[in-house]
Amino acid sequence: MEYALPVAPGPLTQFGRALAADTLKLRRTAALWLALGGGALPVLLNLLIFYFKGQFIVKAGDNPWPQYIGMSWQTASVLLLPMFLVLLSGLVVNLENRGGWRQLLAQPLSRGSVFSSKLLLLLGLNAVAQVMYVGLLLAAGVLLGWLKPDLGFQSHSISLPPVLRLLGHTYVATLGVLGIQYALALAFRGFVGPLAVGIAGIVSALTLLRWEHIDLVPYAAPTRVLGLLKGDAQLHVAAALSPAEWYSLGWFALAVLVGYALLLRRPVTD
Amino acid sequence: MSASTAPLLETHDLNFGFGKRPILHTLNLRVEPGSIYGFLGPNGAGKSTTMRLLLGLLRPASGTVQLFGHDLARHRVALLGRVGALIESPSLYDHLTGRENVEAIRRLRGVPAHRTAEVLALVGLTADAHRPAREYSLGMRQRLGLALALLPDPDLLLLDEPTNGLDPTGIIEMRALLRRLGHEHGKTIVVSSHLISEIEKTVTHVGVLQAGRLVFQGSLPDLQRLQTGRAQLVLETENAAACRLLLPELLAGATVATPGTLRLPWLSRAHAAELAAGLVAAGQPLYELRQEQPNLEDTFLHLTEAVV
Repeated sequence: MEYALPVAPGPLTQFGRALAADTLKLRRTAALWLALGGGALPVLLNLLIFYFKGQFIVKAGDNPWPQYIGMSWQTASVLLLPMFLVLLSGLVVNLENRGGWRQLLAQPLSRGSVFSSKLLLLLGLNAVAQVMYVGLLLAAGVLLGWLKPDLGFQSHSISLPPVLRLLGHTYVATLGVLGIQYALALAFRGFVGPLAVGIAGIVSALTLLRWEHIDLVPYAAPTRVLGLLKGDAQLHVAAALSPAEWYSLGWFALAVLVGYALLLRRPVTD
Repeated sequence: MSASTAPLLETHDLNFGFGKRPILHTLNLRVEPGSIYGFLGPNGAGKSTTMRLLLGLLRPASGTVQLFGHDLARHRVALLGRVGALIESPSLYDHLTGRENVEAIRRLRGVPAHRTAEVLALVGLTADAHRPAREYSLGMRQRLGLALALLPDPDLLLLDEPTNGLDPTGIIEMRALLRRLGHEHGKTIVVSSHLISEIEKTVTHVGVLQAGRLVFQGSLPDLQRLQTGRAQLVLETENAAACRLLLPELLAGATVATPGTLRLPWLSRAHAAELAAGLVAAGQPLYELRQEQPNLEDTFLHLTEAVV
């Protein structure tokens, strides 16, 4: 050989570089704002409900926290959270859809590192959004204690472990949708396609909620884990994963494999 | 390495098609180190497809691409580390500033941080680096795309129609930049274009693609020699048609261009002299006898039209 073969960076280095670039690309994007601010909507809605109608919801003298958390979580999980996942994955992938792919895939990076960097970014943004949601939810509860002392938010306490367990369950339940929507976004190479399938999935899940096999439908999983929420005086959330979560993890694994294969074999023509 | 004659970029019997539609036919490119290789062809000839194959963005149906003597399919990541590319219109992130666009690719490639400012200065975008890319003109976008390609200080630059959408000043600047990169910095450059006039002053080698086939490949002098083979003898007289009747053998390949002008393929000096003597002997006036060289553009057009 007349030329020495240049040294390729290791897989972890490639992955780190891809992630560093992907993080930079998030600046000033709708995806970032959605992740940071998306949790505010259900919190704000419930804040208003409890501010104006709290006296009809909370029995005088009862601990208002479990009911407050439960109601808010329901508002968030049934529709808003799946919708958030559909939008987030679509927006993150769509950043590359105006010619970015040919630029990105012509760089000295394996397609695996490109794929996994965006996947980790999505997992991270999803986690950030859900943690932000819980933080805002608890802060709004404290705020209600000041604004409406009659409701009793300030005189009762909320035990954190069940809330965090519920957060964990919800996160696991969102993975299936996230994985599927990511793979769809890679397959469609546009924003509208995965959005349409995502909305169809959400509507199907809501329609089929009474079906005995609803745990198989990933778009219903965030709603299904609400069933783990028990207790009036104090919250109780079981630690064990529910069937819907196991299926969610299965969907996630399958979608990751399919999505990776799609990106790996994809001819870059756009 | 300077004595090395191994090509920096080589394709062997490269074939490619979209579905059943063939795009490239047994393409054998050969790009010497240090050359500026003009990759010419009309729109739709397969230039961009070839560029994508050279970067591993598309997989060939058969055949191989070799960069720096190594198989691209097997060592894509390692080899692309020494390649900078600009494919069609540069793909920029419109929501990022010019500097952030460069920075994103810099992070992807693990290039030292000081390169960002260097390449922005090289393409003359330092003053506009803080502006979002969506506010950039076509020429600025093209220059930013070039900055991205230059970022890793690559040995091989693949530039697909880099003058597309540039105004005349921009085209001249781009040419000067390519010459500087090639001649002063010793980069090997493959630059595609559908206009030979845009790159003939810049390139050292030329490959001409027509309907997916390489119809010419060689140095610029080779291409010029090809032109001499297509030189014409132009003859000004009183009555061209009459001359052709009088000297049917000497004027066998001649066509009547105007009533007083004959054109025929240039054969040799002896043939020209014989023709002059013949015309005078036949009593015809000979006002002018000259050899006409086709320019590169004619040669290019000829090459790209001749293939069935």
